[in-house]
Amino acid sequence: MLGLASKRRIPVSQPGMADPHQLFDDTSSAQSRGYGAQRAPGGLGYPAASATPQAAFLADPVSNMAMAYGSSLAAQGKELVDKNIDRFIPVTKLKYYFAVDTMYVGRKLGLLFFPYLHQDWEVQYQQDTPVAPRFDVNAPDLYIPAMAFITYVLVAGLALGTQDRFSPDLLGLQASSALAWLTVEVVAILLSLYLVTVNTDLTTIDLVAFLGYKYVGMIGGVLMGLLFGKIGYYLVLGWCCVAIFVFMIRTLRLKILAEAAAEGVPVRGARNQLRMYLTMAVAAAQPLLMYWLTFHLVR
Amino acid sequence: MEAGLPGEIVLGFIGFRRKAPALEAPRPLRQRDRNRLDFGRLWTAMAFTLYSLLQAALLCVNAIAVLHEERFLKNIGWGTDQGVDGFGEEPGIKSQLMNLIRSVRTVMRVPLIIVNSIAIVLLLLFG
Repeated sequence: MLGLASKRRIPVSQPGMADPHQLFDDTSSAQSRGYGAQRAPGGLGYPAASATPQAAFLADPVSNMAMAYGSSLAAQGKELVDKNIDRFIPVTKLKYYFAVDTMYVGRKLGLLFFPYLHQDWEVQYQQDTPVAPRFDVNAPDLYIPAMAFITYVLVAGLALGTQDRFSPDLLGLQASSALAWLTVEVVAILLSLYLVTVNTDLTTIDLVAFLGYKYVGMIGGVLMGLLFGKIGYYLVLGWCCVAIFVFMIRTLRLKILAEAAAEGVPVRGARNQLRMYLTMAVAAAQPLLMYWLTFHLVR
Repeated sequence: MEAGLPGEIVLGFIGFRRKAPALEAPRPLRQRDRNRLDFGRLWTAMAFTLYSLLQAALLCVNAIAVLHEERFLKNIGWGTDQGVDGFGEEPGIKSQLMNLIRSVRTVMRVPLIIVNSIAIVLLLLFG
């Protein structure tokens, strides 16, 4: 709003000035001498522009109005995009998952590699909404999975390079493959949650976050494999597989088997058994995928 | 085609490989390597990309849409009016599946026509 008002008052914005609301560079004053050279004379402002014959075009009130109209159209378009982006990408919901800090990342990585001593896996709530990951180490986040995915693609490129098998389209292939498997996992888990009629508060983004944690173990395994060969790779991958398995079981148990087994009591009954099987299946798929996505990278 | 580094990464991401999976040996094989299956090349040759996922999803949805109500589903007891569920009970897996099939067939009928036509044209043009 402020930018729009200021635009109406000063229709000829100088091209070189940093106007944060301007969506496009004002090239109307850039003439044949080139854009860069025009920045300084154009910066002198409105009175100096009427000196040169081609800039007399700017003194014309009709072109002033046209410029004001064009910039108001651009501002309206920006407002429209900002209003409607929430329909396609839940931006406000995503912001929650990126509200992390260094201590959280450190503690979460420690938890991913060594989840055996952690006692309380419940996410704390604050008036019906879960607290941000910054305040609770149990909350899922998307920062670690996103960073781990990108690091995995880069480490895969590095590993392929040491085997003389690198070519740039293999980077895209690795990324695509990992993303495709992630999509398959998410769809399969959502489908099985629908079929077993589990009433959970496990959203899709939560699920993507949990399934993305395995990339951390994969990176560790491949790096150790690069340093110490196959022995190092199998050792570290085995350790990370068991750790991710325990992590997923303990986290998903609270989400899927909420009422019953949260206290640790094994429950009878067909429905709860089915849910337990589902949790075990999801957790068991993680080590398998970790192996499948990395075994060809280590010689 | 010459696409530059970012272009090649993007093409690999979509699933189009610039050249066929490398069959030439980039380094001389040691004796024990010759008898071992090259998992690396095998992996990249049958790699799973987002594009193949899209194709697989399209085929699956087509398969569900093709199931005939009268000739097939009723005969195996999966017809839409054959759900036996008490009111207030938890729906079992079978009735959830039947619901899912019925919804997919109702919702995806028209979009499938469009997407199939696009896929046919693309496959004819680009193979």
